[in-house]
Formats: sequence, C-alpha cells, structure tokens
Amino acid sequence: MHGFKTIIRLSLRDYFHERLLSACAVMGLAAILAPLLILFGVKSGIINTMVDRLVKDPRNLEISPIGSGRYGQKWFATMAGFSEVLFVIPQTRSIASSMILSRKGSDRTHTLAVDLIPTDKGDPLLEKWARVPAENAEVVLSASAARKIKVVAGQTIMGRVGRSVKGVKEQVTIALKVVAVLPLAAFSRDAAFIRLTLLEATEDYRDGFGSVLFGWPGKKRLPGLRQYPGFRLYARSIYDLIALRDRLLAQGLEVYTRAEQIEVVQRLDRSFSLIFRLIAIVAVCGYLASMASNVLAGVNRKRRHLGVIRLIGFSTSSIVWFPVVQSVATSILGTALAAGLYGISALVINRLFARYLAAGEYVCRLSALHLAAALFVTLLLGIMAASYAAFRVTKIEPSTVIRDV
Amino acid sequence: MTDREKQQNHPGAGDITQDGGHRVFRLAAVVKCWNGAHGFELTVPDLVIQKGEKVALVGFSGCGKSTLLDLLAMILRPDSAAEFTFRAGQDASLDVTGAWKQKNIDGLAHARMRHIGYVLQTGGLLPFLRVQDNIALSCWGLGLPEKAAVESVAEKLGIGRHLKKFPGQLSVGERQRVAIARAMAHEPSVVIADEPTASLDPINAEEIMALFTELAEEKSVTLVVATHEWERVTALDFRPVTFDLKQDTGSGSVRAVVSG
Repeated sequence: MHGFKTIIRLSLRDYFHERLLSACAVMGLAAILAPLLILFGVKSGIINTMVDRLVKDPRNLEISPIGSGRYGQKWFATMAGFSEVLFVIPQTRSIASSMILSRKGSDRTHTLAVDLIPTDKGDPLLEKWARVPAENAEVVLSASAARKIKVVAGQTIMGRVGRSVKGVKEQVTIALKVVAVLPLAAFSRDAAFIRLTLLEATEDYRDGFGSVLFGWPGKKRLPGLRQYPGFRLYARSIYDLIALRDRLLAQGLEVYTRAEQIEVVQRLDRSFSLIFRLIAIVAVCGYLASMASNVLAGVNRKRRHLGVIRLIGFSTSSIVWFPVVQSVATSILGTALAAGLYGISALVINRLFARYLAAGEYVCRLSALHLAAALFVTLLLGIMAASYAAFRVTKIEPSTVIRDV
Repeated sequence: MTDREKQQNHPGAGDITQDGGHRVFRLAAVVKCWNGAHGFELTVPDLVIQKGEKVALVGFSGCGKSTLLDLLAMILRPDSAAEFTFRAGQDASLDVTGAWKQKNIDGLAHARMRHIGYVLQTGGLLPFLRVQDNIALSCWGLGLPEKAAVESVAEKLGIGRHLKKFPGQLSVGERQRVAIARAMAHEPSVVIADEPTASLDPINAEEIMALFTELAEEKSVTLVVATHEWERVTALDFRPVTFDLKQDTGSGSVRAVVSG
C-alpha cells in the first residue's frame, strides 16, 4: 500500500517536473475534446430549444377535427379517460358559436364579432398564456379582439347574441368581465374564450330556446343528450400526440395535427446525432493512437528511472500505475481545459444568438451529466492508452537499464 | 532441491557463525551465463558474507563484478545454484533461488526495499524529485517516518544544504553523496555499491569513500562494494573478493570464477 501510494506520488512529481510536456499533452486532448463539446453542445442546444418550443407551445399538442361530426357525451367521457389526453372539451356548431362584443368608449362604442371558443379548467392554451374563466360571466379575449374593442383585462364588456324567430329579430345581452387577454403568439383570430355553459346557452338561444340560468326568453329545450359537431383536444406530450392521432385515425376520424413538424425535428435530431457520432469516432481513434504513443514514448524515455525505482524495491503491481496515473492526470486536466474552452465558446455563441432566443433557451447547451460523461470516456480512453505502456513497464529489468547513461 | 536440503537452508545452526554473528549471504555453486558473440560465464563456487563485513569485489571492468552485485541485489536471476540464501535482521532467511523459481519477483523486491541499499556508479537519482525526496524514497515505500532519517544521513554526508535542490543542480560528487544517503536512509542491513567513486576525481573519491565506509561501520551495515581500485579498499580494511578469468581458446568465451 505504501508502495502504491509512493508510485502515485512519484508519477505526479514526474508529471509536474515535465510540466511543459504534460501541458502539451493536456492541450492536445483539449484541442480534440473542446470542438467535440462545442459541436455536441450546439446540436443538443438547438434540438432541445426546438423540441422545447414544440413541447411548450400547447398548439403543437392540439388535435383538431377536419369537418364536423357527431360526438356524444359518452365519446367525450371515453376520450377524457385516455392517458394520452391532457384536455378535451366539446365544441358547438361553428355557425352558432359567435357573439358581438361591444364596449362604450369615450367617444364611440367599439363593436366586434368574435368566435366563441369553449374552455374549462385544464385548458393548456389558457393555463399557459392567461387564466381560465371561473364564472359563466367571465371571458378571456384573444389579443386581436381586445385590441379592436380597446379593452384590457379587468374591464367589463357587453356580449350580444341575436336570432330571428318567424321573421322577428330578437337579441339578448350579457355583461362579461374580461379576466385576461391572450398574447398574439397564442392565438391569432378574433375570439372569446368562455365556459361551455354560456356557449351552449348561446347555441340554444339561436335555436329558439331560452335559458333559465341567464334569464333569456324562449322555448324550453327538451332534455336529452346533446350531440356536438366538434371538439378541442390536447395531447399530454408530443409522443402522446402521435399515438393519439393514430388512435383517432383508427376510429375513422380525420384530424389535423402538427405531428409532421415534430417528426421533422426528431429526424433532424437523429441526423445530427449520426454526424456527431461519426466525428467523435474519428476523434477517439486519433486521440487513442496519439495518447498511446505519447505514453509509450514517455516510458521508453524513462526506462532508466523506472529501472531505478524497481531496483529500490517497488513491486510490479504498484509500478504499473506510473504511466496510468500520468495518463489519468492528462485526462482530468485536458477535460477541464476543454470544458473551460467550451464554456467560453458557449457563452459567446449564446450571446450571438441571444435576440432569437427566449429566456431559458440556448443555442449551445450541455448538461453537467454530459460533461461528466465526457470526463468518464476520456478517463477510460486515457487508461486504455496507458495500458500497453504499463505492460512494458512490468518488463523493465533493472539489471539491464540501471547502468545506461 | 530436495526438502531436506531446503530445510538446511532455513535459519538454524547453519546460519549462525562461531563468533555469534550470522551470514547475510550464502552462495554455493551459483552460475550465471551470458550468451552472445562472446559468451561469458560467472561461477561463484562458495561465497559467504557475514553480518557487518566490508567486502570489496575487485577486478577489471568486464570481470563480472556487476553481475555478482546484481545477483546479490536479487535483480538478476541465477541460471543455477546449489545454494543462495539471504538473511537480514531478525527475519527468516530467504531462499533466493526458490523465489526466482516461483517467480516471486515482488517478494524479492520487498526484501530489497527493506534490507538492501544500492549505490550506482553514476547517480541513478530521480531527476524529478528533490534531493530530500530522493533520499526518502525507501522510507516512503516502507511507510517509515522519513524526515529525521533523511536529515541525519544528509548531515553526515555533508549535503544538508542541498536537500531542497534537484539532482540536476548538483555536482557529480554531490550527487554521489545523495546516492549513498538514499541507500542508507532506511537503515538497511546491506548496502551494495557499484564503483561508487569511479566517476569522481581522486580527492573527492577518497573523501566520499571514507565517509561511506565510516557511516557503514557506524550503522553496522554489511557493505559490498565493486571497485577496480585495489589500494583504496585494502587501506579501508575491506575483505577482497577476486575474479579469476580464463578464456576458452576454442569458442572465445570467458569464464570467471569468484574466490574470496
């Protein structure tokens, strides 16, 4: 044990004594490893940012029906039960789901016809960008709708629904509190997000029925199961999206998703990874060869010293560590230097692209785990490169080398 | 070797000499051959080195001195031996031939580290260690406290002020003193030296050899020195061991027989 410790000590002293050569070996490793880290950092940074953007944007998780169908309560209950489904809510007939919004300004009243979109707790679009209306008389407006009627969150507007019964035009109004405004990035059309109860009441009103809840006049709607022509459906993740799309296709439904865009990113990721792997394999082979020759040359150069160490009486099993310790030192220092160079480069690259990036997004990014993996692989290669030299050390006969001058 | 012969080699009556000391080395019919264009064969018919003795292997270069030193230092494997034992301190005697046969290289290495110091003709110091660390090497390997030992031996050899320097900063003579200090710092039983003063000027050589011998006597270390300077060692009261060389006229090979 003392012998082993002493050999480690000697090996490190020698490594330090030849610091110029050691520094060259360290820089040689960093010169190979730093570009690899930067390349991999850019690859994983770009792909992660793209995937993140896809994942973080609920619209990419949306599945919309093409055309209208007939979906009953039972279908919605089944859909809500699937593990892939994050959120599902019925959508009424598009022709009936509109409303005239108005707000009295200082000089004139602004009015605008908007699409009504049903929402409820768990709606990822509203939960990400705004908040979900808690009451029937609350509404979330899209950015364009809010801009056009000049309203901000917290104000109250009037909603008007009209119908014509036997040629007579009728209309009802409801005061709606704007609880939030969706940003433009989240939704581009003029739309108002309301609770399903209100949406169903407006549809009923257009059909000539009244609503007790909202105090709207009209025939009493016969109780019975509602059928909906459409739905708003969100998958839990981009992987669930593809599974869910296939499930709906199997049901014979035609749906629209952004799955293709996700698949493009996934394909891009695979191609990038392949290119990276090819470069890494070439680099690893080159490094292994240069490191092995380096360590071997060192051992040959120090034959006499190693012979003297054996002459003093250190065991074979401890002296084999002499080149290995130095190789490990090179691996650690070289990886540290490469990580430092990578860190500076990543900083520069991310600064350069800062204006295209949102907070928390990167063009160049490596996790601590990636760096730890790089260190592990370098250590492994270092030990492999030193193993033949270590074998040669065991073959040094003190009696043949100690008298060399 | 039969079991009975082995038993005879183990500590017992055979190792204790009449005057109460014991035999450090016992060699009988030890042979080492070097093949090649000019073959060389060294034969040691019978050699006993007692504890505390000062032995000088005297002869010209190429007579086999270094070969015999390396055999004694257990870094060279004999081709055959009727008996080759090493006994140091209170340890049981080591059957060197047997250890070589069993490829117990680490066992021999450990005995060397513990009991033997070796001084080479030129330095043999590790250039990447300071003088004090070169001297401390065996202590480190054995896990012994080294500071006091290094300082005391360095003081005696007059290199106390060089402890922080690297070997490259020293003169040849100073390096040789460091080499002697390294061979003695861990209190070995035997110090083997191969022409320790051959590369020095006569004045330095005399001074260093005297210091070396004095230190060995003080520590009652067994000293085995190879040299071609007959006068110097006889003056210092060494027991000479000589080499008789005979050339085989047919093959051109040289046979050396050790006597003394």
